[in-house]
Amino acid sequence: MLQPFNYHQPSSMEEALSLMATLPGPKKVLAGGTDLVPALRRGELSPAHVVSLKQLAEMREIKIKEGRVHIGALVTFSQLAEFRPFRGPHNLLAEAALQVGGPQIRSQGTIGGNIVNASPAGDLLPPLVALEAEVRLCRAGGERVLPLDEFLKGLGRTCIEQEEILTEAVFPVLPGQAASSFVKLGRRNSLAISRISMAAILVPGATGIIEEARLALGAVAPKPVRVPRAEALLKGRRPDPSLLEEAVTAVAETVAATLGDRPSAPYKKVAVRGVAREALIKAAPQFGCKL
Amino acid sequence: MKPFRFTATINGRPVDLPVNPHRRLLDVIRDDLGLTGTKEGCGEGECGACTVLLNGRPVNACLVLAPEAAGCEITTIEGVAPEGGLHPIQEAFLEAGAVQCGYCTPGMILAAKALLDKDLSPTDQAIKTAVSGNLCRCTGYIKIIEAVRLAAAKLSGEGDAV
Amino acid sequence: MNRRGSGCLKDGPGVIGRNCRRVDGIAKVKGSAFFAADRKIDGMLLARVLRSRVPHAVLNKIDARSALEVPGVVAVYTASDIPGENRVGIIVKDEPVLVDDRIRRVGDALALVVAESEEALAAALPAIKVWYEELPGIFSPAQAMAGGAPAIHGQGNIQSVTRIVKGDADSALKEARVVISRRYTTQMVEHAYLEPEAGLAAVEDGQVTIWASTQNPHYDRREVARVLGIGQNRVRVVQAPTGGGFGGKLDISVQCLLGLAAWKSGRPVRMVYSREESMEFSPKRHPCVIDYTSACDGDGRLLAVKVKIVGDTGAYASYGPATLKRAAVHASGPYQVPNVFIEAYCVYTNNPTAGAMRGFGVPQVAFAHESQMDLLAGALGLDPFTIRLRNCFQPGSATATGQRLIQSVGIGQTIEQARAGAVQLGVLGGKR
Repeated sequence: MLQPFNYHQPSSMEEALSLMATLPGPKKVLAGGTDLVPALRRGELSPAHVVSLKQLAEMREIKIKEGRVHIGALVTFSQLAEFRPFRGPHNLLAEAALQVGGPQIRSQGTIGGNIVNASPAGDLLPPLVALEAEVRLCRAGGERVLPLDEFLKGLGRTCIEQEEILTEAVFPVLPGQAASSFVKLGRRNSLAISRISMAAILVPGATGIIEEARLALGAVAPKPVRVPRAEALLKGRRPDPSLLEEAVTAVAETVAATLGDRPSAPYKKVAVRGVAREALIKAAPQFGCKL
Repeated sequence: MKPFRFTATINGRPVDLPVNPHRRLLDVIRDDLGLTGTKEGCGEGECGACTVLLNGRPVNACLVLAPEAAGCEITTIEGVAPEGGLHPIQEAFLEAGAVQCGYCTPGMILAAKALLDKDLSPTDQAIKTAVSGNLCRCTGYIKIIEAVRLAAAKLSGEGDAV
Repeated sequence: MNRRGSGCLKDGPGVIGRNCRRVDGIAKVKGSAFFAADRKIDGMLLARVLRSRVPHAVLNKIDARSALEVPGVVAVYTASDIPGENRVGIIVKDEPVLVDDRIRRVGDALALVVAESEEALAAALPAIKVWYEELPGIFSPAQAMAGGAPAIHGQGNIQSVTRIVKGDADSALKEARVVISRRYTTQMVEHAYLEPEAGLAAVEDGQVTIWASTQNPHYDRREVARVLGIGQNRVRVVQAPTGGGFGGKLDISVQCLLGLAAWKSGRPVRMVYSREESMEFSPKRHPCVIDYTSACDGDGRLLAVKVKIVGDTGAYASYGPATLKRAAVHASGPYQVPNVFIEAYCVYTNNPTAGAMRGFGVPQVAFAHESQMDLLAGALGLDPFTIRLRNCFQPGSATATGQRLIQSVGIGQTIEQARAGAVQLGVLGGKR
């Protein structure tokens, strides 16, 4: 049983923002509820008000306009996984969405919830960080747009204010020749919390060299981390098995430095090599081929 | 805390009742509507025993606040079988020996239904993915997967081909 | 593959060699099988247990007056409300239904609240005041067996000892070509049956009926009768469809509490555990520490084993003595061993209770004896299959306890087939 609270179901964004501005006492925004409802049941949260976004249909859309992808905060994991335009260069988002929970969680859970929840193991966060996404935060009479990396403050912490609602994530469309991947290591395939995850984006140049590489790791730090050393190492070179090993080593060294002497470090330092190897080969099969 | 007017279609029938908004869809289904075929195994969205279909998609009824499901088409295990008979998925679960203690069975059947309503020739991987949010602690997964395969054949008119 | 059942009677009588449908199958696929938590009786009350948050303490006092003032609360029962004996247990009657003197683990039942609604229960539980004096806890069998350790149950912490002696293991060790000694530790395991414990009790014409998720209705009936101080003829226990048990529902969970609540209040009462409560309260697989010495000759033939098994049964014995006895009986594995010395200790601690779980202690020792076989094989450069085939039981073999095996000794055949299967799957080379 859940502790009682006041429930609001505003029918417009204006109404929602005005509720957020005026309701007294602790309040929580309800999107998919897959994290909020169990937290309410366990009594970890006891808000006086719950503001449901259920009726804000415009937040359920994915739009591509003027070279940018806009993903509404209420877009579910299933929607992301099934969104056809994400089968190409942006497939890391679809892959990450498919790795979340099981089908039931994917039907309900939302990208907005995944972001605001700010779990170090949040599956969509490394892809969004690699995509250099920004988030839009609205409040009555104003809004602000922040890079996701800046928005995330660490384990369960973000810089969202009490009266704000995160309405969308936005990122620039990747070039058509780009390839991407997401690999997650959990204790099992389904319903598992990420132990390590990695998102990779590779943009090849005309001659087959890597023009740009972006790598982001999940669950090795309080928030996703980019791997500038490995990214720099890949840039301007041609993917092959020896470059793969160099990059994997750079990733593993970054992880070792990030984890310090945490209890999980001995395991993750080794395991991340497999994750990185798999992610890079998925993004560029040439990494796996002996020439 | 004021009650919320919960209107929805459950198993094809309209329902309209006041519910306290802090109650979960699972509580409304089991306690208010007496549809106890939907089970609570964990209350955390880990086990899938409370799976119902919300507008055709599988969800854990323990993770959905009742008012969030207002206006939706909800299917519970009680709405799967035709009057006086069994749905081919239910037949298949019996024939394949996929029912043991029976506690995961309603959720498994609904997870399978969500798949088969969209895809009548699923791969084994698709079947495994479809039931990956449902735990069976008697560990009858092999037979459950066989049952879904058999149900797909029955539904596509190849019932005897498996 | 034809696995389809056509019903037992379609092709004539009899069930052998035919696919049969479960008698409860149709109800289960339709969702119309009524598990204990699905049952309702008009005027039914709900119950929930206040459980200890500390592992070891002397209970001084429980004051439920504020809880009784919560609207909807009908009663709060404590140990003094129990009309009969306040101790249950399948082998040893050592577990209180509601604690009367000492708290022995986190999760011990202190008080039972009966109310009209879940809301009332939720408000009442935190309103109960409990005074206790915390004692140092014992969290490992080693600590429990050490000299001067406080006794959890009054007469020392070793609940039972099983010894099996055959031949002269110590002398045989001296003559062995290879001797390997290792310590194996196994962990606590939760059954996690998908259906948490639940039950419903009602009193009618002086008879109490309990529908419960249980594996052990006859035992439940005896215990409820003892706790209520009434004849068994006045207690009826109905096993509701049970959503998995795996040994974990052989012990008492809700039965006695529900019997008490219905008996005292005169109204039907239902109680359903949350997953957390089930996890916290229910018995587990015994964690074991196994010191294992094996000895063999140059051909890999076992000459002796010496095994010491210490099982942590937690706060209450439950099936512990039987589990450790079973572990001892099977400690030498499916192998002919001429000289055996086995000791198994069942030990009380302030950990969660351990009881029955699939295999009753045998999986724990199997981990040890099979690891030993691999180590012996390795030491002699033998294939792991070969050493097992050289030692495994045959018709006519005698077990460690002297049982002569006359027929149905399939272990050798099983090993051969497993090897053939593994070769076929390509997971193993063909070498012998």
